[in-house]
Amino acid sequence: MEEFEQELRQAFERRPAPPSLKRKLMESRRTLDPRRHAFHWQRLAAAILLTAALGGGVVLHQREEQRKGEAACQQVMTALRITNHALEHMNKQLAAHHRVSQE
Amino acid sequence: MAHDWQPDFEQLVDEHQSMVFSLAWRMTGDRGLAEEIAQDVFLELDGHLGKIESAAHACFWLRRVAMSRSADALRRRAVRGLDLWVEMEEHHGMQLEPRVSPLGSRLEGLLATLPESQRAALVLRYQEDLTPEEIAATLQAPVATVKSNLQRGLKLLRAKAANHLKEYIRPKEYVRGV
Repeated sequence: MEEFEQELRQAFERRPAPPSLKRKLMESRRTLDPRRHAFHWQRLAAAILLTAALGGGVVLHQREEQRKGEAACQQVMTALRITNHALEHMNKQLAAHHRVSQE
Repeated sequence: MAHDWQPDFEQLVDEHQSMVFSLAWRMTGDRGLAEEIAQDVFLELDGHLGKIESAAHACFWLRRVAMSRSADALRRRAVRGLDLWVEMEEHHGMQLEPRVSPLGSRLEGLLATLPESQRAALVLRYQEDLTPEEIAATLQAPVATVKSNLQRGLKLLRAKAANHLKEYIRPKEYVRGV
């Protein structure tokens, strides 16, 4: 192995972490733990609320679309009835006119 | 996938705090910042313990996150390596262990002057003894890039050592191959 690389390996050996690191870490962990649980509950509650709101929105949207569809269908049926009525009326008039012209 | 390994947070801290702290210190050149980064990394690990599948996975995860958080800290501070090292020497009085030779500490100082990508590759290679493939996986970089960074970093560090560490070394040892 090249001497320079060997020197680097020796120079770059792991250094012991300061003793305060673990102590501070465990203290932070103890402090963060209840907050973390609370945060999880908050996130869960927010997720449920969001899902419910989105679900409700989708259902309302579907109902509105269905209502609009039914109204449009009713309008088409009404238009067809009016057209049918007008055509029948016209047909009767033509028949009467035909009879008169034959007599 | 189910796994039998049960992580023990405190044991993981005991086993890996030296690695995480040393990676952060060598990447940032700032002992105080390295301690903060190490704390953040382990607290992040605590939140991810359920996803850690084995001791090797924990080690890999810690290395990757330590390198990533160190890079984030460097970008936030936007400081240059040499300045950092000088700052470290001034503020921490070179709180190096007695076993670290003057040459070793000077080499670390020169390491801090290298570009971040080369420094990361060299630290993982010579501190953690990782192969280029393992370094690439840790840094999430192409293997060819890592190999290039290793070669360039080593060459640059050797050249700097030849220029700056004449009082410690025989010149021909370090000039050779530059």
